[in-house]
Amino acid sequence: MNRPRGLRARIAAGFAAGALVLSAGMALVSYGLTRTSLLEERERTAIRAAYFNATIVNAGISGDQPDVLEVLRSLDTGTNRRPVLRRDARWYARSADSGITDAIPQALRQLVEQGRPAVQRIRAGDGPAIVVGVPLAGGTAFYQVDSLTELDRTVQTLALVLIAVAAMTTGAGAALGWYTTRRVLRPLALVADAAHDIARGDLTARLDPAADPDLTRLTGSFNHMVDELARRLERDRRFAADVAHELRSPLQTLAAAGSVLTRRRAALDDRTATAADLVAVEIQRFQTLVNDLLELARSDQPARREPVDIAALARQVCRSRGLPDDIVEVAEGAAVTWHVDRRRVRQLLGNLVDNAVDHGGGPVAVRIGGAGVTGQLDVDDEGPGVSPEDKDVIFDRFVRGRAAAARGSSDGTGLGLALVAQHVAAHQGRVAVLDRPGGGARFRVELPGCLR
Amino acid sequence: MAGMMRPVTAVLVIEDDNRIRLSLMLALEDEGYTVYGAATAEEGLLLHRRSPVDAVVVDLMLPGIDGFECIAQLRVQDDVPIVVVSARDDKRDIVAALEAGADDYVVKPVAIEELAARLRALRRRLRAVVPRADDVPTLVFGDLEIRPEAGEVRLCGEPVAVTRTEFRLLCELAEHPGRVLSRQQLLQRVWEYSIGDERLVDVHVGRLRQKIEQDSGTPRHLVTVRGLGYKLQR
Repeated sequence: MNRPRGLRARIAAGFAAGALVLSAGMALVSYGLTRTSLLEERERTAIRAAYFNATIVNAGISGDQPDVLEVLRSLDTGTNRRPVLRRDARWYARSADSGITDAIPQALRQLVEQGRPAVQRIRAGDGPAIVVGVPLAGGTAFYQVDSLTELDRTVQTLALVLIAVAAMTTGAGAALGWYTTRRVLRPLALVADAAHDIARGDLTARLDPAADPDLTRLTGSFNHMVDELARRLERDRRFAADVAHELRSPLQTLAAAGSVLTRRRAALDDRTATAADLVAVEIQRFQTLVNDLLELARSDQPARREPVDIAALARQVCRSRGLPDDIVEVAEGAAVTWHVDRRRVRQLLGNLVDNAVDHGGGPVAVRIGGAGVTGQLDVDDEGPGVSPEDKDVIFDRFVRGRAAAARGSSDGTGLGLALVAQHVAAHQGRVAVLDRPGGGARFRVELPGCLR
Repeated sequence: MAGMMRPVTAVLVIEDDNRIRLSLMLALEDEGYTVYGAATAEEGLLLHRRSPVDAVVVDLMLPGIDGFECIAQLRVQDDVPIVVVSARDDKRDIVAALEAGADDYVVKPVAIEELAARLRALRRRLRAVVPRADDVPTLVFGDLEIRPEAGEVRLCGEPVAVTRTEFRLLCELAEHPGRVLSRQQLLQRVWEYSIGDERLVDVHVGRLRQKIEQDSGTPRHLVTVRGLGYKLQR
């Protein structure tokens, strides 16, 4: 299941990643810079203070019997700054500052004892600190340990703030990406809507070329495509109309002349009469064929739905074919007002009834039912039924039942059931041939959306 | 004249295709009509003006004046029943021909029995409304008065010129005041179709409205009942 992610999701992710990289970079740089400058500032302060204090201590211990501790105590250091003195291999520290001497690194002590001032950042027991060592006269060394805990906390807070800002920026980037793609994809939605309208048969649907100058190419190509499509459909329609005219005009002559022949049949000798009959029958079939072909050629037209009394229509169809209209049965509780294309449903029913007459010994029932919004029509006959291999192809064009083929004669055109399938498809419905309980075939048509 | 039936019905066939015209003339003569043929609309209009016929069968695609114009000119002249026989089955053509004033429309190829049946139906209507006398019953629908026996329609007292088919349609609706008649019922009663094209009814209703309604856009008398049909009311 590796479903590709949507364009919007991918673009939003891209925006988020970009925002993350940018904001994280910015955060890292500002963190580094701030931390460095804060530390340096602190270090300078510490060194200044150390020299100042060292000067005081130096003055304080220059006497004969100096009270070293008193001198240290006299320093104004605050709580974060702890001075210690090493003199004659002994440590001197204020009582509160005892134990700090361990934290002073050996290397620093050596430097200072060699007479060179030194600074080092260390990690003391209670947090980071900075040690400044200042050599005094007579091998005495003054050390000052400045706690950096407060600074460290400040830097940590800064880091947290920067991380939060980076996260928020990333989120904002994703949101911006989502919003932008919605804006960017809106024209595509318009294209999709227009394409949908066109697919439904509305060839007047176009995109507004003035909507956005950046999309001129898209709207231009799209509208051009629809123009071409409309032109082509119009050409096909015209062709069908032309063919119709060219076929129908000679057929009219044949039909009229044929009826003159038929009317005079009694006056003809047997051979001529038989020939006249053949001509009349074939003219009839030719007419049906031309009409059916034209109907098929018009397949692209959508169904024009309107309220239709389906039971009345079915009875009409039966009567018009000389069948009793009491074979029409309406299932109990079934609605008879259907929203369908009257012309299509009339022809559909007529063709199913004709099929039952031609191949099934006549229809025994035309049943009207339905469930939900779907209307159901059954046309039953008591004929030989439809063999399984025929069931798949019976709705194809120019397929006639095996029985008819074996007889070598049929009044059908082989298009009747293809037209049924087409009319059903125009209603987004389904048609199937089933076995009728008790023998025979049952043609079942289901038309969704015709009951409301 | 009242109630008189002419022994022979004269039909004019206006059709530019010689073979179709000849075959239609032969077949219609077999059906008992006296048939005149015309290859152009001009010729047909002249023929009808000289000796009016009882019905006209006309093609739509004609050289010179076309079928639509021909129908319109015939309609200006009188209310002779007009049946269009055309190879064009585009609904726009059908509606245009009916709006020009045709009474019926069949698509080629039409069986002669069918064409004869159409002509008979139109002729029956013709005979049914021959004027007889002044003291005939009047059906009143507000400012609209219909006298079926006299073949008369008046709007606000003024006579309205309607064709025979329009009149028959109006009478069918007037005989069932306030009741809805479906398009199929009207097709059966007025045109004698068992199953027919409902646009026939719609276009005729539209033409009628232009004559009997003050405002044909918002009809008061001849109203559409959606999904059911039409009814005539006060």
